Amino acid sequence: MVIMGSNMAECHPVAFRWPMKAKLNGAKIIHIDPRFTRTSAVADLHVPIRAGADIAFLGGLINHVLNSERWNRDPFFREYVSNYTNAATLINEEYRDTEDLAGRFSGLADYVESPMWAYNAFVGEYATGSWQYDRGDGQAGPARGTQGQMAAGRPAPTAQTGETPEGRRAGAAGATGGFDTDYDALVRSLRTPPARTDPTLQDPRCVFQIVKRHFARYTPEMVEQVCGSPKAKFLKVAELLLENSGRERTSAFAYAVAWTQHTNGVQIISCAALLQLLLGNIGRPGGGIMALRGHAAIQGSTDIPTLYHSIHGYMSHPSALKEHETLEQYVRAETSPTGYWANLPKFMVSYLKSMYGAAATRENQFGYDWHPKIVGDHSHMAMFAAMADGRVRGMFCIGQNPATSLNASLERAGLRRLEWLVVKDNWLTETATYWHSAPEVKDGTVNIEDIKTEVFFFPSTQVAEYEGSFTNTQRMLQWHFMAAKAPGECRTDTWFYYNLGKRLKRAYTNSMLPRDQGWKNVLWDFEPDPGTEPPYPGEPDALKILREINGYYTDRPTEHLPGFAALEHDGSTTCASWIYCGCYPAPDQNLTAARNPDPPGQSGAHLGWGYAWPANRRVLYNRVSADADGNPWSERKRWVWWDGTKWVGHDVPDFAVTKPPGAPANPAAIGLDALAGTDAFIMKGDGKGWLFVPTGLVDGPLPTHYEPAESPVRNPLYPEQQSSPVLKYWRNDRNRLAEVGDPRYPHVITTYRLTEHYLSGAMSRWLPWLTELQPELFIEIGTALAQEKGIANLDRVRITTPRAEIHAKALVTNRIGVLDIAGKRIHHVGMPWHWGWMGLSTGDVVNTLTAFVGDPNVSIHEGKAFTCNVEKA
Amino acid sequence: MPDTFFTSPPDWTIYIVPYFFVGGIAGGLYLLAALLHWRGRAADEPVVRLGYLASALGAVLSGVLLTFDLGRPLRFWHMLLQSERFPLPIFKPWSPISIGAWALLAFGIFATLSTIGAWAASGPTRFSRLRIFYDGLPGRILAAVGAFFGLFIAGYTGVLLSVTNRPIWADSNFIGLLFLLSGISTAAATLILLIRWRAQCESTRSTVQWLTWFDGWLLLLELAVLFAFIVSLGRIAAVWLNAWGLALVLLVMVAGILVPLALHFRPSMFRESWRPHSVVAGAVLVLIGGFFLRVVVLAASDAISRTQAGLFR
Amino acid sequence: MDHPPLPILPQTAVTTEPMGFYTDTTVCIGCKACEVACKSWNLLPAADGGVTEMSGDSYDNTRQLDGTHWRHVKFIEQFPTEYNGRWLLMSDVCKHCVQAPCLEVCPTGAIIRTEFDTVVIQSDACNGCRACIAACPFGVIGMNDVAGTAQKCTLCYDRISVGLEPACSKACPTDSIQFGTISDLRERAQQRVEQLHANGVNDAYLYGADPNGPLGGLNSFYLLVDEPEVYGLPRNPQLPTRNLMESAVLSTAGAVAAVGLGLVGLRKRRMDEISDERGATSDE
Ligand SMILES: Nc1nc2c(c(=O)[nH]1)N[C@H]1C(S)=C(S)[C@@H](COP(=O)(O)OP(=O)(O)OC[C@H]3O[C@@H](n4cnc5c(=O)[nH]c(N)nc54)[C@H](O)[C@@H]3O)O[C@H]1N2
Ligand SMILES: Nc1nc2c(c(=O)[nH]1)N[C@H]1C(S)=C(S)[C@@H](COP(=O)(O)OP(=O)(O)OC[C@H]3O[C@@H](n4cnc5c(=O)[nH]c(N)nc54)[C@H](O)[C@@H]3O)O[C@H]1N2
Ligand code: SF4
Ligand code: SF4
Ligand code: SF4
Ligand code: SF4
Ligand code: SF4
Ligand SMILES: [Mo]
Repeated sequence: MVIMGSNMAECHPVAFRWPMKAKLNGAKIIHIDPRFTRTSAVADLHVPIRAGADIAFLGGLINHVLNSERWNRDPFFREYVSNYTNAATLINEEYRDTEDLAGRFSGLADYVESPMWAYNAFVGEYATGSWQYDRGDGQAGPARGTQGQMAAGRPAPTAQTGETPEGRRAGAAGATGGFDTDYDALVRSLRTPPARTDPTLQDPRCVFQIVKRHFARYTPEMVEQVCGSPKAKFLKVAELLLENSGRERTSAFAYAVAWTQHTNGVQIISCAALLQLLLGNIGRPGGGIMALRGHAAIQGSTDIPTLYHSIHGYMSHPSALKEHETLEQYVRAETSPTGYWANLPKFMVSYLKSMYGAAATRENQFGYDWHPKIVGDHSHMAMFAAMADGRVRGMFCIGQNPATSLNASLERAGLRRLEWLVVKDNWLTETATYWHSAPEVKDGTVNIEDIKTEVFFFPSTQVAEYEGSFTNTQRMLQWHFMAAKAPGECRTDTWFYYNLGKRLKRAYTNSMLPRDQGWKNVLWDFEPDPGTEPPYPGEPDALKILREINGYYTDRPTEHLPGFAALEHDGSTTCASWIYCGCYPAPDQNLTAARNPDPPGQSGAHLGWGYAWPANRRVLYNRVSADADGNPWSERKRWVWWDGTKWVGHDVPDFAVTKPPGAPANPAAIGLDALAGTDAFIMKGDGKGWLFVPTGLVDGPLPTHYEPAESPVRNPLYPEQQSSPVLKYWRNDRNRLAEVGDPRYPHVITTYRLTEHYLSGAMSRWLPWLTELQPELFIEIGTALAQEKGIANLDRVRITTPRAEIHAKALVTNRIGVLDIAGKRIHHVGMPWHWGWMGLSTGDVVNTLTAFVGDPNVSIHEGKAFTCNVEKA
Repeated sequence: MPDTFFTSPPDWTIYIVPYFFVGGIAGGLYLLAALLHWRGRAADEPVVRLGYLASALGAVLSGVLLTFDLGRPLRFWHMLLQSERFPLPIFKPWSPISIGAWALLAFGIFATLSTIGAWAASGPTRFSRLRIFYDGLPGRILAAVGAFFGLFIAGYTGVLLSVTNRPIWADSNFIGLLFLLSGISTAAATLILLIRWRAQCESTRSTVQWLTWFDGWLLLLELAVLFAFIVSLGRIAAVWLNAWGLALVLLVMVAGILVPLALHFRPSMFRESWRPHSVVAGAVLVLIGGFFLRVVVLAASDAISRTQAGLFR
Repeated sequence: MDHPPLPILPQTAVTTEPMGFYTDTTVCIGCKACEVACKSWNLLPAADGGVTEMSGDSYDNTRQLDGTHWRHVKFIEQFPTEYNGRWLLMSDVCKHCVQAPCLEVCPTGAIIRTEFDTVVIQSDACNGCRACIAACPFGVIGMNDVAGTAQKCTLCYDRISVGLEPACSKACPTDSIQFGTISDLRERAQQRVEQLHANGVNDAYLYGADPNGPLGGLNSFYLLVDEPEVYGLPRNPQLPTRNLMESAVLSTAGAVAAVGLGLVGLRKRRMDEISDERGATSDE
């Protein structure tokens, strides 16, 4: 098991039970991290790496694997890769790789901000047409979005919004929707010819050859240069991985936010996926790439999204930038004709029914017009950049503490320009008190009288004070019960939204304005049944919310939907989130509350414990756990297999249950019928695991190492291309970046968590039992740096970046230190970021150091790798 | 690192040093009074009375100090009676602190009785029945048993320290002996001062001389045992390479032992004009030395806690 | 609506076999869940209300076991050079010694051995004399200033006597702390040591698992991979009474010598007086 980009033992201690069990069963654990952490302490091998260099390391592994004796000798790998990945697929002739263009892919252009919303912040953009599959029609995909792209798969979040050309449309395509749209015919009309392939994997334009060429640069020496990881340790990792992959064995990767919080975070994960596909470690028990998600229900908050770019179940949010005028246009733009996503019309119509109820009819396109549309990047940093420009009037801050968040002084500058701010929290957080206690107010830089924001504070309940569900990192929903009553006026977040919604509905009752019709028609009724006593006055019925999420037959609300296969696009089904459909299949069957583990000693999937979407599957794409003929790859790794008539196994098969392994694809069909019996990746248009990613990413079809936005060295891999050519950077006086190799900021710094505290510390720094365990903010520095700067353990030091200067105590240790990068001796340092000015334990806000730079696909910040200086204070 | 360095300090210094000091003196005083009671002359009687009285007061003070040292002073009696099966007694002969508690109680009783007896023997005839605690054989037996407890109180405190797992204390078996000798010696010094204060007259001159002589020899013995103690610690003695070590040399060895010895045996070393004060000065120095002996032994150990015991790594 | 039934809390049957802990330090992740679970169950206050300073000693900021820290996780950094070494993590607790030094010296009888062969301080009987603190070879006990009594781990007597697992081991995510009957635990631990040896970790050994070893064995024993001293543990913990006989004999000898010396002195005084009187008479 490789833990990379995560400090699993410290941040997921409870889940870490399982790696430790595996260790007792003989598994080897590898931890790749700039610091020797508590995870490293129990790992068999720790490999130091510079923050922000993971693609170089993973790319090195890919190159090593492809050229290794074992990979080329054992037929398993070749079999897996040619059957289940797009290795054989040919790519458009016009495609140019980073190898050809000195670090860039074909299609790069300047980015022009939209006048509607100037906060998308790309520094460049790719037209992705040339990255597409060669469909034998001799055409390169047009530079600006095609149906062909959707034929392959779904766009990146930022592309879903229409910020990037991939999702934008040149002109109106097809007829605009009348109420008589035949969705099946519409989807069928989207079909494109299948892509050309070369099953021998020899064609220079096939994915396999492109991948091989692309990663040839990533030699062990290059890895050492870029990552600072000793060559011997790198080779050891490669060896262990190869040894432990194959028919009999699988290896897993686990990552968390040290892979995501980068300007190429998505590509790091993509790179790991590529490697795992090559090693045959996807879709099989003990394999995979595990995203260790953060908060207890953060998975739930992307499924039922608090994200800006999508609506329930990972459908794109209707966007004003895209051809989304009508429901039909939306369906045309968003539906992949092949693969399971061909059912999107059913998901969407059922969703609209859940939004607008009886008011949503075939005639009014199920109320699609009433649905709000987005105009660009409304993610955290974009919104705060806009806020700092005075473009946001009010904010509900519910369960967040942005006053300590990324580039915190910029965020607080934003907060100061709000007219009103609602903070609903369990504690008076930094965000609730920034206007009187923030450092800039205390030191007089900002005058308290000049802050005009009206701040409202609502006391919140804690999670154990109401019932509801969590969705954990395994996509598993687990119902939780109310354990105690909240004190005083504390109310749940559902209470707050529900009652706010009711009041807004009331306020709009008499409005005739078109824009208010949505509010007037929105279905908003979760009142507890008469006679039942809600835990708090006015509290909605949590199970009624779950019912709406699971879905029901529109005309028989007490008849719940058994699963998403029952969804229809004629309005007869109502379902808020198709992926959750089936978790509550009958009024007396809340499967999320099920607690029936498999008996000890049985290698099962514990299907009776909670409910994992989709359809209670525990391992996604598990068809791959059997070979092309449907037999288990090995006895040891038996999971799901073909028993002659159907797919069976320990898990719910992630495949059409009765489709034989040898079934051919039907080139005229849509949906799953268009896929063959070996096309296991059913959410993909071609049913393949993607080594090469034609759609879905805005920064390239293959991962490439780029330096972080701030780096002490030139990119050793592609000296002409320092950092991602399309990253997001929000220009602002408070958001200056250090130049490459700026001698004023010579050290690489990363930020992270401690087991003892939680995130901004709002929840942990008031609790004496925790503060005594980690009472103060510190910076971890190596002994060499300490000696050079005359810093002793526990000395107060000053840390500076172009954005800010903060203080902390030094924790001098050999668990972090010097890395040799591109011929330079680089001191690596790191800081936990849990502090602020409220609570029992207080300290400087580490995030005043960080910058608003982000990943182009998902707009996440680069809090994990930047540069700084450290001096004795 | 020696095994004793992985333990926690009981933080006994504040009340226990005075207790050990006062207890040693009280026990020693009783012994001295009893010796004079047995083998003294009639003229020693006021000194005997003074000795008993002071030892009884010392016993009470000891009890008070010991009680105040407790985390829950009102539960002092838990050392004697089983709190859960009241009034069954609790007595653990292998635990010095347990026997010590009983011994202090016994000693207090004996010292009180002897004091009362001695007072009755000298005072109004109304209470003459109480002379039984002083006169004749019963009085002497009482004195003998009381002296036994007195010696016990003077010495068990050191044994108590050794019967732990703390650095220094548990690393040597000489502390009991050392405290015992020091206890009698400080008692002699106390008695000398008491005589000077309350009973100075021609007839007590020879008593003072005896005490001075006795004390001199006790100090010599104590010095020898102190050396034996330090040697027995081996390399652990290095814990005194600090301020406490300086106190050990200057206050305990030089001021508390060597100077008084010189005053006793080599008065010629001192200026003529000082000599009349030599007895008092010697006694005062002995008391200071005895006090700091306990301070140094307790504090040096209490100062060692596991978190800072890098000394022997 | 009816929810599917929740499983009943798993209960271990109350046995009166010797019970205790086996702590496998090789899977401890230093998460301190045990430390906090203990505080939470036993309602122990944080040091100085939680407003403290960092110690600078790795991630260890509570530093020791004492009256309000009945569990303590140690962090031992062994790094000769940067990135090159190991970090030993160990959750320390009362060893529930079979021959318990603290119990031996306690004058009030507050310290008892329970039916589970564990060692418990009964706070209501303790008077805070602190003899046990000085007696414990592991530095386990300390004063709890709120109670005014000496306190330490009770091995969750209140939990195990109703069949619940101790709070700390229950909270331990990696099962570094395992609770059970001593015989089971010893077997499990021995197997783990053998596994480690087979994997080339030759330094692995059990500390305190030997009933014939120091203190008759420890009912909370450890799997360690370095010398005991490295973990702050005594190599050869002993009973304090080992010193009793010798100390007592030496003191008694001293007492006899002192009494003799005193008597000699008195006799000398008498002799001197007699000779003085004679001298005076002859002078006349
Ligand atoms: N106790 C505790 N648990 C938590 C949280 C908490 O605050 N406290 N937060 C929760 C949340 S919301 C989240 S998102 C997760 C996050 O879980 P993690 O991602 O595991 O946590 P981090 O501490 O942010 O970072 C993990 C490690 O990444 C290393 N690192 C930094 N940069 C790089 C890099 O570029 N490459 C590699 N390979 N490693 C790098 C750091 O040294 C650090 O050890 O934790 C969750 N769990
Ligand atoms: N430099 C740097 N910055 C980072 C990161 C990093 O690794 N490095 N990590 C990033 C990551 S992964 C994350 S997740 C974010 C987290 O950043 P935030 O979400 O801003 O931080 P939290 O402290 O989790 O804030 C959550 C707030 O919700 C409150 N709360 C808890 N339960 C409830 C509830 O039921 N209802 C309501 N209304 N409020 C509740 C808490 O009291 C707390 O104040 O930080 C990001 N920032
Ligand atoms: S804090 Fe909660 S979610 Fe995080 S590891 Fe602990 S138990 Fe799991
Ligand atoms: S470890 Fe210490 S406190 Fe625990 S039983 Fe043994 S002597 Fe007593
Ligand atoms: S402090 Fe309490 S438990 Fe400890 S020895 Fe004294 S009476 Fe016994
Ligand atoms: S057994 Fe109970 S009292 Fe002892 S350390 Fe564990 S939680 Fe604390
Ligand atoms: S709970 Fe377990 S893993 Fe965590 S510190 Fe304690 S013993 Fe170690
Ligand atoms: Mo997170």
